[in-house]
Parts: sequence; structure tokens; C-alpha cells
Amino acid sequence: MVRFLRRTGYFVRETWINIRRNLTLTVAAILTVAVGVMLVGLGLMARYASTNALGRWQGGVQFEIFLEPNISGGQIDALGEELRNHPDIERIQYITQEQAFELLEEMLVDEPELLAEVSLESLPPSYRVVPRFAEGELIESLAAQFRQRPGVYSVETGRQQVDAIREWFNSFRWIVLLMSIVLAAASALLIFNMIRVAMFARRREIEVMKLVGATNSFIRLPFIMEGMLHGLAGGIVGAVAAGVLRNHVEELFGRSEILAFFRSFTVTSSQFNTAILATVIMGVVVGALGSAFAAGRFLDV
Amino acid sequence: MIRLDNVTKIYKGETRAVDGVSLDIQKGEFVFLVGESGSGKSTMLRLFTAEESATAGQVHVAGKDLTRISSGRVPYLRRNIGSVFQDFKLLPQKTVYENVAFALEVIGRPKNIVTTQVPAILDLVGLSHKQKSFPDELSGGEQQRVSIARAFVNRPLILLADEPTGNLDPNTAQEIMRLLDRINRTGTTVVMATHDQTIVDQMRRRVIALRAGQVIRDEQQGVYG
Repeated sequence: MVRFLRRTGYFVRETWINIRRNLTLTVAAILTVAVGVMLVGLGLMARYASTNALGRWQGGVQFEIFLEPNISGGQIDALGEELRNHPDIERIQYITQEQAFELLEEMLVDEPELLAEVSLESLPPSYRVVPRFAEGELIESLAAQFRQRPGVYSVETGRQQVDAIREWFNSFRWIVLLMSIVLAAASALLIFNMIRVAMFARRREIEVMKLVGATNSFIRLPFIMEGMLHGLAGGIVGAVAAGVLRNHVEELFGRSEILAFFRSFTVTSSQFNTAILATVIMGVVVGALGSAFAAGRFLDV
Repeated sequence: MIRLDNVTKIYKGETRAVDGVSLDIQKGEFVFLVGESGSGKSTMLRLFTAEESATAGQVHVAGKDLTRISSGRVPYLRRNIGSVFQDFKLLPQKTVYENVAFALEVIGRPKNIVTTQVPAILDLVGLSHKQKSFPDELSGGEQQRVSIARAFVNRPLILLADEPTGNLDPNTAQEIMRLLDRINRTGTTVVMATHDQTIVDQMRRRVIALRAGQVIRDEQQGVYG
């Protein structure tokens, strides 16, 4: 390792020469990597966002009865009794105003200014209801029974939307996954070819290196580093693009009434960081794979 | 230093480039390999550097059994062997100094070794004044001297030369031979494949003559034949 560090200057110089020699190919490879890994990043974020949103309905088989904020204690108990004794209901959970506020706090952890607008008293307490059966129609009819009760503000099932959204997100995920695999393969191949061109351009040097006894890893390392550098550059460009797109999309959801439903589809900052990191790492991996494959294939003793 | 035991090399299942050759080259010897084109001289040299592996028989070079050497060890074997070619194989975009230094850099020699060894070897081959020149600014003889400097800068045990005078006029060829002789006197084993009858007859060193991959003559103070 120490010996390798001492030669860092050599590797950096050789890598830079390679990159400068075929700039157009370099740009093409970097952009392909960027688009590919950007999709990986966005796919990951979409996955997080959908999980976050869907998590609220816990698999879509429960519904929530929101009560008027000024409902009396007797009404709450009466309703709870009726729910508990209902033959189609498995179990219920009462969410107090305080608990509702805590949940909201969790959800809005990244948007404290929004949270500041909400007061504890304005939040409705609610019953979370888990029916005995998971059929959508049953849940709908069950929910309808309680919609007109005194003290009930609203009943939200969201089941159909959730199902539709989940389906949509699932196919979206698959499409994104497929596209990113294709693009990752394309970028690995582009890098593979670029390294091959670079090695062909330097075949005389490689020949001399072999002649005087340079080890294979010594000969290969600058090329592999070049590939990884392309991957890294592509990964960074892709990550930035994914970040910009995320902000743009969230802003769009926030502004548009039609897309209001998607407002709950957000990613937390730690999830966002994970996705961005994964994007960059993916780029480096693609670059390393393409170049290592090329170096292994075209540089035998 | 180099020993072949009944070595055969067959290319693509038919051409017998080397056919049942056994020979022994001692440390410090100067050996000419002579024979027509296609007699197996170059293949023999490539067997010594493990660029080719023997189809049958055993090859020992610098104490290593090349029939058993792992590919990872081959570079280290080659650090004990300097190679010189008819076409010099210099890197055109590097100066004389850089061409020679390159051979040390790529085997990981530290900078202080490079900065002392390269000028010393350029002095030995008489090219100190041309170290900033590029190969295409040099004559053929000078280029060959650079290539010898590169082959010898790491002080290898063995120097292999494949037709080193093939592209040079007789006077220049003489210069190159004087240089190889000098290197040989430092204790380096020199094996030179050649067509050059004048040189072989004049040097009066060991001559191994090949025909169709077989040794037809091996004389201690031989002539071209």
C-alpha cells in the first residue's frame, strides 16, 4: 500500500492524460452514467415516498374516524363502545389530540414552519379502526355507517386511492428499475469501450511496461481509476439532477390542487441523503465494473 | 542462468517452432543464436521471457522454473531480464531520459534511484548530451543505445537482444556490439539472435545455430557457419 501511495503522482498523471485524450467519449460516458444513476436515485426516493405515504394506512385495511374537536367525553365513549362491539371490527385505537399532534410532528419534522401553524386544539381526535376483513367494499360500507353519527367530523378510508397509488407506484418502480439497469449496462459498456480505446492508444507503453516487468495491477490501475473517475463524475451529476428534480416535484405537489393528494409523498432528509449517496456509489461501481472488465480482458501477461 | 530440457514449442497444433531443444547457458556467457528466419530464434527468446510457454519440456531462467511459474510472478522474472529489439520499441512522445526512467518508474523504483541510475546509464551508452531529445531526433544507432540503456538500467542478470543490429549500418552495428560486449563484461549474460555474419565471425563467442527449431551446432568460439 505504501508503495502504491508513493506512486500516486504517477497514477494521477496517467489517468489525467487518458481522460484528456478522448474528451468526447468521456463526456458521453459521464452523461450516460448520470442519467442512469439519476433514475436509480429517483426510484429510491419514490420508493421511500410511497412507503411513507402508504404507511399511514398500514396496508390500506384500516380506516380512521375523525371526531369533532369539541366532542364530549360521553359521545367518545359511546362511539368507542359501539365500535368495539361491532362484529366486523377486529380492534380499534383511540388517538387523542396530543397523540395526533405527535404524529404530525413526526411527519413535519423537516417543515417546522408548517408545524408552527397548527395548534393542538384544532386537531381532531380519532379512532383508528381495523376491520376483521380486508375487502375494500366491506370497509367502505362499514365506514359509511359511522359517517353520519353525531360528533363525527369525517371518516377516511383512502383504500381505493391507496390501492391505485400503490399499483401506480409499483409499476413506476419497475419501469425506473428496468430503465436504470439498461442505462447502467449502457454506461458500463461505454466505459468499457472508452478504456479499450485508451488502452489501444497506449499499447506501446503497455508493451514496454510488460517488457520491463511492471505488474498487471500496476498497468491496470490507471485505467480502472479512469473508469471510476468517470463513474464518480456521472454519479455526482446524476445525484445533483435527482436532487433538483425532487425539489421541483415537491414544489409542484405543494402548489397544484390536482396533485394535492401527493403532498404526503415526501422523503425525509435522511432518506434523501441515502438516495443521493446510493446514486453516487452506483456511478462509481458502474465505472469500476466497466473499466475493470476492460482491463482484465485486454491486459494479459 | 538459462537451461532448456528437451523443449518443444508448437504453434496452433502444427508449426514446430522449437523442436526438442536442450541447452545450458551459464552466467556471464555471451551467446549468439543464429539461423534463417523462421528457424526458431525469436520463439526461443520469447520462451525465456515467458511470453510463450513451452508445449513440452522444461525452461529454467534465472533460477525459476517457467513451466510452473504463476502469471503473477512473471513480471518479477522480467525484472531480471532486459530486452532489446530490432525496432527499438521506444516511446515517441517521451524524451531519451523519460524513456529510460519509465522502465524504473513502472516497476515502482523510488525517485532517488531513478534520478541517480538514469544519468549513470545514459553516460554508459554515451548519450548524456541527448537526454532531452526525442527518439525521432536521434539516429538509428542512438535509438538502439537508448533502448539498451532502458533494458540495462535495472541491472538485469540477462540481456536478450533480438536482431539488435538489423536496422543499422555496419559501423553503427559495431558500436552497438561494443556496448553489448561492455555490458557482458559486467557479468550480465547476453543472448543475441542475429543474421549478421560479420559480427558473429568477428566476436568469436559461443554460437548456437538453429534450423527448423532444432540445434544443429553449438560451438564455444564459433563462427556464423
